[in-house]
Amino acid sequence: MYRKEMNEDIQKYTVYLDKVSKTFHTSHFLYKDEETGKRSFIKKKEACAADKITFGIMPGEIMGLLGPNGAGKTTTVKMISGLVKPDSGTVYVDGMNVEKKRKQILSRIGVVLEGTRTSIWPLTPLENLYYYGNLRNIRGKVLKERARQLIDFIGLNDKKDVEVRKLSRGQKQKLAICIALIADPKIILLDEPTTGLDVQSSRSIKDKILELTRKHGRSVLVTTHDMHVAQELCDRIGIINKGKLITCKPTSELLELFSKQIFSLRLDRNLVDGDLDSLAPQVTLLQTDLTAEGPTITVQVPEPYRERSEALYSLLETLRKKKYQLRSIQQKQVNLEYVFLQLTGEKPVFDEMNSQEQE
Amino acid sequence: MNTMLGFLLIMKAEIIRGWIITRRYWFRTLTGLIIGYGMLMILIAGFFYSQPAIEKGINQLDDPTRATNYILGFIIGLFAFGVIGMFTQGIQGMAQTGVLEQLCMSPYGLVTNFLARAVVASVTTIFYSALMVYFVVISVGGKLYFDPLPVIVLLTLSFINLLGFGFMVGGLVLVFKQVGQLTIIVRMALFALAIFAREEFLQQGWLVSALMHALPITDASICLKYVLVKGQISETGQFMSVFLHPCFYWLCASCLIWTFIGISLFKIMENYSRYKGTLGIY
Repeated sequence: MYRKEMNEDIQKYTVYLDKVSKTFHTSHFLYKDEETGKRSFIKKKEACAADKITFGIMPGEIMGLLGPNGAGKTTTVKMISGLVKPDSGTVYVDGMNVEKKRKQILSRIGVVLEGTRTSIWPLTPLENLYYYGNLRNIRGKVLKERARQLIDFIGLNDKKDVEVRKLSRGQKQKLAICIALIADPKIILLDEPTTGLDVQSSRSIKDKILELTRKHGRSVLVTTHDMHVAQELCDRIGIINKGKLITCKPTSELLELFSKQIFSLRLDRNLVDGDLDSLAPQVTLLQTDLTAEGPTITVQVPEPYRERSEALYSLLETLRKKKYQLRSIQQKQVNLEYVFLQLTGEKPVFDEMNSQEQE
Repeated sequence: MNTMLGFLLIMKAEIIRGWIITRRYWFRTLTGLIIGYGMLMILIAGFFYSQPAIEKGINQLDDPTRATNYILGFIIGLFAFGVIGMFTQGIQGMAQTGVLEQLCMSPYGLVTNFLARAVVASVTTIFYSALMVYFVVISVGGKLYFDPLPVIVLLTLSFINLLGFGFMVGGLVLVFKQVGQLTIIVRMALFALAIFAREEFLQQGWLVSALMHALPITDASICLKYVLVKGQISETGQFMSVFLHPCFYWLCASCLIWTFIGISLFKIMENYSRYKGTLGIY
């Protein structure tokens, strides 16, 4: 039964990871522990980069992989592209096992890893595309035409004959995307595509990624730790931390996850320490602010309706008893950063600027 | 067939890339050649004059045949140094620039890619080395016996031999990037061996002889010197084709062994580096 369902998933998704795990083992010679100062001749360490990760990418979908540094995002991308072998589990691309059919799969995947480094700097963008085209078995008229189309598509037309070393970081990143697209792959894997770019370049690259999926039907996997990029770009987001895929949901669903639980209450005066000590245990005080409209407190309540209702009544009752006047109460729409911090177990700072208020 | 096509395509891409860079940075290429010539002359002179007996050294420099012998050794050594460096320093550099991972994404595989790159790079090196040998030999008044067929065969075999050895150390560098630094010692040793390799080395007991034959440059260097410097004249003063020289057979055997070991190990290490995740690490 499970096998049958899995086979259906493999066929349904362009990329499918089935319980993929990877742990890196490293040995450090003449190691010195920074905390204890203890020295050892050899110190073996291991880092879990993927722990039974399972997810799929649909055709024409932008999937985002969000996580802090060292969470395992790049390793996941490398495992899909066959650059890193999983310890266990299987990666399927177009229904084929990456380890068994690597050569066939490579022509279907385009990867951008730390994009600005990929290109050959003494060559121009057009020459780079011709070079990498040959490496990927694209040649003749097809290659020339495709290279020009890509340069035009990405907006490097005026720089096509300028040596790469003279291009800006954003332009190099655009070229790296073109290099990944030269073999016309169905799947594009982008590792931190907008890191270190200015707003304009970042915007331009995001637009091109959207165009690639919406107009050309390609599947895209974007790894990032930029919440705005993920929220703006991705149809679905997977949050990964310490190699574990914590959640993988459509972006809207992910944003809904905590929105029913956060409330902001504006009071007539500042909250005195200890006044909310007798709150119902299911109410968590997240933050107290002094805004232009007056003192505000932000609280989190449980999600089930009954418990949420009880918690809110208890909170209002406590405030009434302490003679606070309630000026307004609002349910807050959380942003991805909040969701991310909640799910990764970090303490979220509820930033007014990053949240949208709902009635 | 597909691999062959891929090999040719990559070679074409490499030739175009090399040509563009040479043309675009022509001044650097030209000054490189001039500096190379100057350095080689200084090395040759320094080498001779640093001999224990200076007078003997001067006499040796005045002996064009002996000088030519060393000059050729220097060039063969440089060639060996370059071919192996392409695998060691080359892989390290490519890992640093991210090109290595893009090469791994080529459906032809790393071995075909490196083979094509090495062939193109070596043809260019041989061309520049030939120019250098010519000018330096003329400068010291020496003479080279250029017999095209043996020279081409020997250069090809020497190249294949070094390629096999290069693949072996390259494979190690794929996983252990620090090995790249250590291989400088190996490259220097091969460089020195190419200069000093003589048939007399092979007559100093079976252990030394076996070790010398096992190294990828000894027989190649002896054979090339035999053709280019001695004009294929044996110790008896008779003409004897290099194809009948025992070192030639050792060279052929060495080619087969090193190619097999090199490519097999490279493939194993490529696989292992994907398991260890060290392809993009530098």
